[in-house]
Amino acid sequence: MDFILQQFINGVTVGGIYALIALGYTMVYGVLKMINFAHGDLCILGAFIGLTTLTSGALGGLSTPVLLVLAFLIAMIVVAVAGTLLDQFAYKPLRKAHRLSAVVSALGASMLIENGIMLIWSPNVQVFPNNLLPNISWQIGGAYLSFVQLLIIICAFLLMAALYFFVHHTRVGTAIRATAIDQDAARLMGINVNRVIAMVFIIGPVLGAIGGLFIGLYYRQTYFTMGWSYGLNAFIAAIIGGIGNIPGAMLGGLVLGLFNAFAAGYISSSWQDAITFALLIAILLVRPSGLLGERVAEKV
Amino acid sequence: MNPPLSSNPPSGEVLLELDRVGISFGGLRAVDDLSFQVRRGEIVGLIGPNGAGKTTVFNMITGVYRPTDGQIRWHGQEITGLAPHLIAKAGVRRTFQTIRLFADMTVLENVIAGQHLLMQQSWWQGLLRTPAQRREEHALVERAMEVLHQLDLADVAQEIATSLPYGAQRRVEMARTLVARPELIILDEPAAGLNEQESAGLNDTIRAIRDAGITVILVEHDMSVVMNVTDNIVVINFGKKIAEGKPADIRTNPLVIEAYLGQDDDEDDPLMNAIHEEQAQS
Amino acid sequence: MNHANQTAQPTPATVAPPAGAGTRLLRIVGPLLWVAGLAIPSVMSPAWITIGGIFAIYSIVALSQDIVLGRAGMYDMGHAVFFGIGAYTSAILSLSFNWPILWTIPVAIVLAAALGAILSAPIVKLRGDYLLVVTIGFNAIFVLAMKNNVFGLTGGADGLFGVSGPTLFGHMFGTQSDLFYLNWVVMAIVLWLMRNLDRSSLGRTFRYIKHDELAATTLGVNARNYKVAAFALSAGIAGLAGTLFAMQLSAVSPGSFQFTDSVVLFAIVLVGGQASVPGVLLGTAMMFVVPQIFTEFAQYRYLVFGIAMILVMILRPQGIWPARKGAL
Repeated sequence: MDFILQQFINGVTVGGIYALIALGYTMVYGVLKMINFAHGDLCILGAFIGLTTLTSGALGGLSTPVLLVLAFLIAMIVVAVAGTLLDQFAYKPLRKAHRLSAVVSALGASMLIENGIMLIWSPNVQVFPNNLLPNISWQIGGAYLSFVQLLIIICAFLLMAALYFFVHHTRVGTAIRATAIDQDAARLMGINVNRVIAMVFIIGPVLGAIGGLFIGLYYRQTYFTMGWSYGLNAFIAAIIGGIGNIPGAMLGGLVLGLFNAFAAGYISSSWQDAITFALLIAILLVRPSGLLGERVAEKV
Repeated sequence: MNPPLSSNPPSGEVLLELDRVGISFGGLRAVDDLSFQVRRGEIVGLIGPNGAGKTTVFNMITGVYRPTDGQIRWHGQEITGLAPHLIAKAGVRRTFQTIRLFADMTVLENVIAGQHLLMQQSWWQGLLRTPAQRREEHALVERAMEVLHQLDLADVAQEIATSLPYGAQRRVEMARTLVARPELIILDEPAAGLNEQESAGLNDTIRAIRDAGITVILVEHDMSVVMNVTDNIVVINFGKKIAEGKPADIRTNPLVIEAYLGQDDDEDDPLMNAIHEEQAQS
Repeated sequence: MNHANQTAQPTPATVAPPAGAGTRLLRIVGPLLWVAGLAIPSVMSPAWITIGGIFAIYSIVALSQDIVLGRAGMYDMGHAVFFGIGAYTSAILSLSFNWPILWTIPVAIVLAAALGAILSAPIVKLRGDYLLVVTIGFNAIFVLAMKNNVFGLTGGADGLFGVSGPTLFGHMFGTQSDLFYLNWVVMAIVLWLMRNLDRSSLGRTFRYIKHDELAATTLGVNARNYKVAAFALSAGIAGLAGTLFAMQLSAVSPGSFQFTDSVVLFAIVLVGGQASVPGVLLGTAMMFVVPQIFTEFAQYRYLVFGIAMILVMILRPQGIWPARKGAL
């Protein structure tokens, strides 16, 4: 029982992170119908920026909580800018082009960012300082909930709730949803589609940057290829929930986090990724549009 | 069970039968309780106001959609919901309202595509370019050129199909369906985009197709085609059959007139013009 | 229907339209280049002999990727799987079971092709993006399986060593030069197969499916079977390249068949030119030969390739050397 509870706690934590990253994929896909393969790398860029901020000697005088908040803010800003530049230079010129062009461009951008990170920081694992967060844990039954886990869970859920509210109860959010459903109709209704897209390339990367920095804080390390592995998992989460579907991405993230935790716990951690993929393939074969996805009918 | 095969005249063997066929898309009942028969050698027209469901009927016959109710029978055998390639195999070919030629391929290559089911070469014969395969490639080209000659397209055989003018593209699509010598051809608005002269040419083409032993169903708005070429007309509106009969009867059928009158702003409706002309003359 | 007014049209000799001047030139220059390439072991340094051999091998894989992606139009981004299966099959059979390496080649091809068919059968119905992700999944599962030393045969993360070249006509193909000739000849065979594919109904049918699957089905094409066939054929050829790879490196390891490698293959086809043999060869050269010239910049390789991918898609979406219209 304790074991299950522990896996549950671990799973929800990682699931929250996956959800934050998955939202970036799903929002871009919803509006542009393209997979932003570079998203995972943007997220891990957030981790690197955050790390640099945290270990920068220039900010030594600040207290830890302030430093953390600053690290998050700077990471969010840098990644938001990076995301916007990414769209402007690699995706926007291809809006009217064939889908495959955008796929290749996204892959190229991913390579570019990942290798850029490697060249700037180094191919080695970067370690996070271990005095940033209080080292407390609470005991629940026989399981442990650490401070960082609680922090991640709370932040992730707050952000998801905020995003849900934003998307469903504000004008801008509704504009985003409308654009995702039918871009041309949205344009005809007077929605500035370019601005919606710009928004999506800010919100997505910002959430992803937060997720990425949390990865760094949680595992106390980061390395340049993490973007690909976490990005892929988050992407799978988005697909499981139904790509383009915002609540779906949240659900998918949690499902995947829990699944990973239990699979690693019960089966074996060296097969973890394989099991994740097996889960994805199984779901797609039974429900080709994901758990919450829409059935897309082809009009002849 | 089937009446004996007659060589040419209509009212022979029933090739295709729709039996209370219907389909719903979500809450929308696109076609409802539709029944009619098509006999070998006939030219049957399917007409109705815009949005009546004509293309949907074709899509059901050719397997693109699966009816939710009713049966479709071919030579007495049920084919409801079969995959499109199986229905093609059974001897049914079609053209598309929007013309679906293979882009970036020549006219000749498009027409050869129509012979897909006639090909005998296996994959390894193709990969190894055996003499048998080479001979078959020649035969394919010859057969395709024959049909292209008949449709006046031999000159443009090596042109990219989608670079041709609209009317020519329609003929290419028709060539692609004819080259396989199907039993039944379904033409989806073959006269769309054609001028008067071309429409008259189309009528000749359709009759020639029938004379070659192929049965035809067509959807068309152009009444100069429908009235002059069909043996039997089925009229549908809102997915239901409202009339069926010979062209002369349909022209004066009050239900049909009302269906077309019920459409707003259709001053250019050819059927209405035809009706008004008739009434003016009488 | 106007027979009288038509000028007599000679029946075209082939389905494909007559070749343009550029293509006719290429038909002569291409084989000449190949023949010239045979001289590489005699005139170039050992490093370049190896590069030439690697280029030939990756050309074969890239061409196989072109079959499933450029011709049949399916987003296969896990193609390294089949490359790896061919390589591992040869390695395992020759090292663990002492098969003569030559006999492992047909087995590797058939096994890879069979796996291509089996894996693709349930997934060809998926939408493009989803198919893409599933192929990534297969690739990842394969790499993990190799790393985890499945059945105790695959050697784990370090892989397997000591794969030797074949013995043909009593001559042992051991040196890099020997292997170069072997690879170069097999490359020519594959190029010949690709040319035949273009002129056969199988190749044409792949194109019908890519351009308009629905129209193709109304002509009687069983799209699903052909899609699976495209996967199987391309997998088999990739498997063949895999065996050559195993011999060339005399080793196999999971690191050669990862997601990045699949992405590179995918990009080669799209950047070089879909369904274009010269385009694919050019893309392969760019990715595997050019970096060798600038070895001091090796760490920038992926950076440059990434930028190139973006630029080519924006500036020349049809690829650097697109297939000529009317033939593809």
